[in-house]
Amino acid sequence: MSTSSSRTLGLDRLSAGGAAVWGAIALLLLVALAVEPGLFVDQFVGGLVYGMTLVLIALGLSIILGLLGIVNFAHGALFMLGAYFTYQLMALWGLPFWVALVVAPLLVGLVGVLMERLVLQWLYDEPPLAGLLAAFGIALMIQEATRAIWGDTPLSVATPAVLAQSADLAVTTVARIRLFSVVVAALVVLGVYLLIERTDFGLSVRAGVQDREMAGFLGIDMPRRFVLMFFLGAVIAGIGGVLQGTAVGMSPTMGQQYIIITFVVVVVGGIGSLFGSVVAGLLIGEAVFLTPLVLRSLADVTGVGALAVPGIGGLVPYLVMILVLLVRPRGLYGQEGFME
Amino acid sequence: MSRDATAGVLERLGAVELGVWQVPLGLLAVAVLLRPVVSHDLMLGYPQVATSFLIWMIIVASFNLLMGYTGLISFGHAMFMGIGTYSVAIALSSFAVPFLVAAPLGILLSAGVAYLVGRLIAHKGEIYFAMLTLAFAKSAHFVANYNPGGLTGGTTGLADGTMPAWIETSRGFTYVALGGFRIDWYWAVAAVFVVGMLLLWQLVRSPFGRTLVAVRENEALARAMGVDVRRYKVWAFTFAAAFAALGGVLLEINNQGATLSELSIVTSGNIIIMAVLGGANYFFGPLAGVFVWMFVEEYLADFHTLVLPLTEVPLARIELAGVLVYWQFFLGLLFVVAVLVSPREGILGLLKTVLGRLSARIRGESE
Repeated sequence: MSTSSSRTLGLDRLSAGGAAVWGAIALLLLVALAVEPGLFVDQFVGGLVYGMTLVLIALGLSIILGLLGIVNFAHGALFMLGAYFTYQLMALWGLPFWVALVVAPLLVGLVGVLMERLVLQWLYDEPPLAGLLAAFGIALMIQEATRAIWGDTPLSVATPAVLAQSADLAVTTVARIRLFSVVVAALVVLGVYLLIERTDFGLSVRAGVQDREMAGFLGIDMPRRFVLMFFLGAVIAGIGGVLQGTAVGMSPTMGQQYIIITFVVVVVGGIGSLFGSVVAGLLIGEAVFLTPLVLRSLADVTGVGALAVPGIGGLVPYLVMILVLLVRPRGLYGQEGFME
Repeated sequence: MSRDATAGVLERLGAVELGVWQVPLGLLAVAVLLRPVVSHDLMLGYPQVATSFLIWMIIVASFNLLMGYTGLISFGHAMFMGIGTYSVAIALSSFAVPFLVAAPLGILLSAGVAYLVGRLIAHKGEIYFAMLTLAFAKSAHFVANYNPGGLTGGTTGLADGTMPAWIETSRGFTYVALGGFRIDWYWAVAAVFVVGMLLLWQLVRSPFGRTLVAVRENEALARAMGVDVRRYKVWAFTFAAAFAALGGVLLEINNQGATLSELSIVTSGNIIIMAVLGGANYFFGPLAGVFVWMFVEEYLADFHTLVLPLTEVPLARIELAGVLVYWQFFLGLLFVVAVLVSPREGILGLLKTVLGRLSARIRGESE
């Protein structure tokens, strides 16, 4: 988390093989762009929105994993709560979207703090499996409570008028709420970066990540920082939930659906690296949306219909993970000796 | 400490010291008693489901060879079970290969895939290993869903022509017909269960199994003592897959075909839950976990009114339908409490502790 953000993409160290891979990917993308420009931009924006949603969940997950060594399986449930709190605030209590955008994440943050205080704080020195299992139990509880309170059927809220229209992007049109989501997510990422890298608070947190015990000896109140970072991680997931809930809707399984892919993102980015999580989130988001399009264009161009494998999008994150981990065992920006 | 305490309880109850016969006799007892217990009126009340209990016990016990003994967490164990199920289903439906040939082939295939995957990923760190098994399991699920060459049946799975000719069903019961004899399917599975579990037991108490425990307890130390850690992990992964496939092969007949759910991540997750619930530290832990999990699931499926204390003498009736739909909430709560108390002990560990305390109390010892 500490040094990685200042690291470059490593273009100066790029090997011939790496250059060939990047060149091939660029060529494939150009083919897809040439064959179906409208669809390409459409899918690109889709991948961006999806990727940013993944980034918002992954940030909290990565912070908690890096700082506390807890594999927080319940983080997807927090994301889901963000969406359902939005429903409660907007659809049931009639509050405007902008209120929900602020209040719902704070409520999710409170749930996160409750989770940390009641359960997870007792597991910091246990093996990672213990935290994973406890968090899994919490995720189940939140999911079932959600079903009990809001029901099984998918719900949605009315998009605010300003964001309901479409934005014209020359070759295609995109709903404004999706672009809004990307902008908000980017601002959140920027905020987290500034907090971690440019403030004394962030400095003490980074010290805690490197050596929790030593940081404690030096007089830093680590337990309080843990709570604060947990709150922050939950709030960020909550923001993701509000945006997703407004743009797409919500269902009790959305937490489950997202948490596994988000783990993939964190692992691909490198455990303990926030910058890695952002890069991997965008990479996987785009890969999920663009791979099917690229394959279809390729099938069109070459005339080999078998290339367009249906439903490949769902498998892409896992293929990316296998490839990345086989080439770089610690993910893209993972640190040595971290969670190994 | 808990072992001695349990032995104490057994003595109190007038049992003899069982020694090395403890596990074989325990397995026999499970196989013989499970169906009468499950089908008792106060329990589930119907016997058919007992066969699934036994099959899942094999599968979860195979997983515990990884989690409990080697300390490897796989998020994709269902893949190896599913390879067994699908191999048999495909062999029977598409190639008319006899079941008794297809089953060993399926188990070998599963073990082979596990060996190759294990060679690739077994040395990775805990989380990386878990995530990579997840990725491979997702890929297997994708392939089965993609239905290459019409072999796997896609989303609907395989059902037509997947049953061997010597399996007969009548009035909800399945029988194995051998010549003029008809053996209840339950007893056929029970025989495989006892033999399979004994093999697994021999495996964990062999030098190989002891080495796996050493790897779990302290990998660096094991390596320093000259153990080729990576090789042991690969073989543990391979054996676990073979036993999972054994369960999968039985599941093919039990469920009359193969469905995508046998390869799904949810199934892998359930396997982990059952192992942890029962107690990963114990050989019988997974069995207890399967029993509790499947029992609760079946029990709550048609359970609406809680009558206290008994149906014959009702003092109180509690309508629970509205709450029990969300039984997984309480499962989650149970999980959190179990992990907070002790992450590797599970229900069996809890039981042993309670029994140990009780026996100490009975003998008048202070703790």
